[in-house]
Amino acid sequence: MSKSSAATKSGSDQAKGFKVVRPPLSVVRKTILSTNGLYKSYKKGKLEVPVLKGVDVEIAEGAFTTIVGQSGSGKSTLLHLLATLDAPDQGEIHYGDRRIDNLSAKKREAIRNQEFGLIFQFYHLLPELTTLENVLIPRMVQDGFWSYLRNKRRYKQEAIELLEMVGLGHRLTHKPSELSGGEMQRTAIARSLISNPKVLLADEPTGNLDEENGDEVLKTLHDLRHQKNLTIVMVTHDTEMAGTSDHVIHLVGGKVQ
Amino acid sequence: MYKILLSWRYLRTRFIALASIVSVTLGVATLIVVNSVMSGFVDQMKHRLHGVLSDIEMSAPLLSEIHHSQYTVKQIRELLGDDLEEVTCVVRTPALMAFQSPNGMSVQQQVILIGIDDETFGKVTDFEPYLQHARKQTEFNFELEQNGYPNDYGLAGWELRRERAKVLAEQERRIKELHQQSMRRAKQEQSQWDVNQPTVAQASFQEPAESPRAGVVKPKFAPLPSKIRPIDEVLAEKELDTASQPDKPSFTGVDPHAHLRPKIAAEDRFDLAKDQYTGIIIGQAIAKRLMVDDEQNVSDFFLLRPGDDVQVMVTTVGRSPKPVSDMCTVVDFYNSNMHEYDSQFAFMPISELQKMRGMVNPMTGRGSVSTIQIKLKDGVDLDEAKKSMLQRFPVNEYFCDIKTWQDTQRPLLSAVNMELTILNILLFLIIAVAGFGILATFYMIVVEKTRDIGILKALGAPSGGVMSIFLGYGVSLGAVGTGAGIVLGLLFVYYINQIADFVQKITGQEIFDPTIYYFSEIPTIVSPWMVAGVAAGAIAIAVLASVLPSLRAARLHPVEALRYE
Repeated sequence: MSKSSAATKSGSDQAKGFKVVRPPLSVVRKTILSTNGLYKSYKKGKLEVPVLKGVDVEIAEGAFTTIVGQSGSGKSTLLHLLATLDAPDQGEIHYGDRRIDNLSAKKREAIRNQEFGLIFQFYHLLPELTTLENVLIPRMVQDGFWSYLRNKRRYKQEAIELLEMVGLGHRLTHKPSELSGGEMQRTAIARSLISNPKVLLADEPTGNLDEENGDEVLKTLHDLRHQKNLTIVMVTHDTEMAGTSDHVIHLVGGKVQ
Repeated sequence: MYKILLSWRYLRTRFIALASIVSVTLGVATLIVVNSVMSGFVDQMKHRLHGVLSDIEMSAPLLSEIHHSQYTVKQIRELLGDDLEEVTCVVRTPALMAFQSPNGMSVQQQVILIGIDDETFGKVTDFEPYLQHARKQTEFNFELEQNGYPNDYGLAGWELRRERAKVLAEQERRIKELHQQSMRRAKQEQSQWDVNQPTVAQASFQEPAESPRAGVVKPKFAPLPSKIRPIDEVLAEKELDTASQPDKPSFTGVDPHAHLRPKIAAEDRFDLAKDQYTGIIIGQAIAKRLMVDDEQNVSDFFLLRPGDDVQVMVTTVGRSPKPVSDMCTVVDFYNSNMHEYDSQFAFMPISELQKMRGMVNPMTGRGSVSTIQIKLKDGVDLDEAKKSMLQRFPVNEYFCDIKTWQDTQRPLLSAVNMELTILNILLFLIIAVAGFGILATFYMIVVEKTRDIGILKALGAPSGGVMSIFLGYGVSLGAVGTGAGIVLGLLFVYYINQIADFVQKITGQEIFDPTIYYFSEIPTIVSPWMVAGVAAGAIAIAVLASVLPSLRAARLHPVEALRYE
């Protein structure tokens, strides 16, 4: 059923200025996320606008998969469905061997919190909190008041390590308004990793950045993927960027091509 | 944890929200001030009303009597047993009091005259603390004191009486002197007249030379007595008269009892300087007036002072009431600061009033009374006691009203209570209006924070958690507003008299006029329960106002919230 095709243009790897290390295909064998006949439509007034018209994708564990398409092709919707932020009208989503699209709100929240890491185009940091606090938010959501206080020291240590990893060790007490776009996105990456997720879902992470910063972020994602053995699903409209990934899924008019 | 963190951050970074709860602060402060002042006022007023009225009153219809009062008192003692503290009998009647004001003008004043038993009355009501002479407060009697009345009365007591007697004696001496002078002058003129004029009898009747009415009959005059007693003869007789009683004025012509006076022994005669009539205690407001002098200084002026005599007129009891009057000597003033009482009450010994009004049974020598006042022990239920008394003394047999002090003052008490209730409702409406302010502000904040809500939900925060961020925000805002309001209100109550003075100084308007109200200072009572209730109410309103925005926040769909830019 898999319609994803491996990227072939290895020349573009060099163009990005860093070497993409792909694991051998033999490692990429197990499917971690898959969809089965996904339909989703939005209501615009009285009009029902179909966005996804039967999408079947398979995401291999440990792979860097990009979803590419024109705006309006449904790529963000697909990512939201994969992240359980929204429920499909029809079809199924499987995570590992679990079906996750029809889980209770509480279980979906737990999956979003602990299994998936989410990165957005507009960073979506909380403006009232410092960099460190923003990174700690998923931990705070995960733990109750007392257990958070008990584990606070460890969580803080982890957050600082992550921020150092993305190169923001010196910006711990800054508010998002005091950071540049690239720094904000790297903070968002650190936040998405604090709960040690298996899958990283990124919605146009470089869409709002200039090329230099965008490349930086992309490089960070690639590095982390190897360090943490992550599965990354990235939505982008930049085919050049998609070239750095293992698999590319083309979405056209709500269908996989 | 994120709920507390975010609530706290929103609280710290959004001062406009704090502005929206200023109305909560003001509402809470106003409620506390108003309630404290009102309850202080009501408490003081109740205390005084209660003190003057005694716990329970059993009274005959006004102007009539309870016969067999001693028997009735005994019955009451048996009925109430241990609950009873003390019983006293009084005679209460409207009366007319007449006295001379200092300029000699005669003044009449209608009063409620209360005949009291000086042994027990003070135990049943708060009577003695309101007397003005220090010794009367501790050892009560109806005797005039030598001195020791409050200084602003001026000359009072026996000192006043002696001064009056001196002035009176001086006046009499002066009148006597003038009288004698005029007598002497008259005598002189008489003797001159005698020399120069012929006596009337001797004068011949002269015909006019030519009368225009010649034909008219001439009037005929009866001849006058041949001899008129010379005036010095008459005077000599009178001199003789006055010589026999040298200390008395010589107004023999107008004193019908002049011939009796020499027969009264000197010590039996009423001497203003040494003797007093029956003692009477009158409400201070009857005598006291405000006086403003040329320099705008306000002082008290007294139409009457302890030591002055007043005439009291009451009616007798029985089938055909007749007015009777007697002299009394003012021995003290009564000042409860309740104008209603101070301007009407006068107290005298019950036995004297019973005698005046003919209430003493000539067979038994026992007097009837108009009212029996009862004081119960602390903590006894007044209404229960009243009920048992109503059973024991049914109205169709005894024709007596049995009322607790609250019944007597019900109109006033319920009016004050209603005022308090309405004020509370109105002020809570202020806080409710503040609640809508909070609602609007919160709604705006939720709209502003839509994206953050989406982020939190995307990161796995449950709807309940998101809701509690905003609810917590509302509670903390309410708590901050209420806390500030409590502090402000309590400070205001604490310094209320200073604030009143200050405002008075600035505006020149008297805010709290002690002559209108019952108290010299604004009374306040801060009840912790009241403060807690107001605080709980205000916080509840703040929470209620933040529920709707919080629900909206909780219901936001994460995808839509994230798309929101």
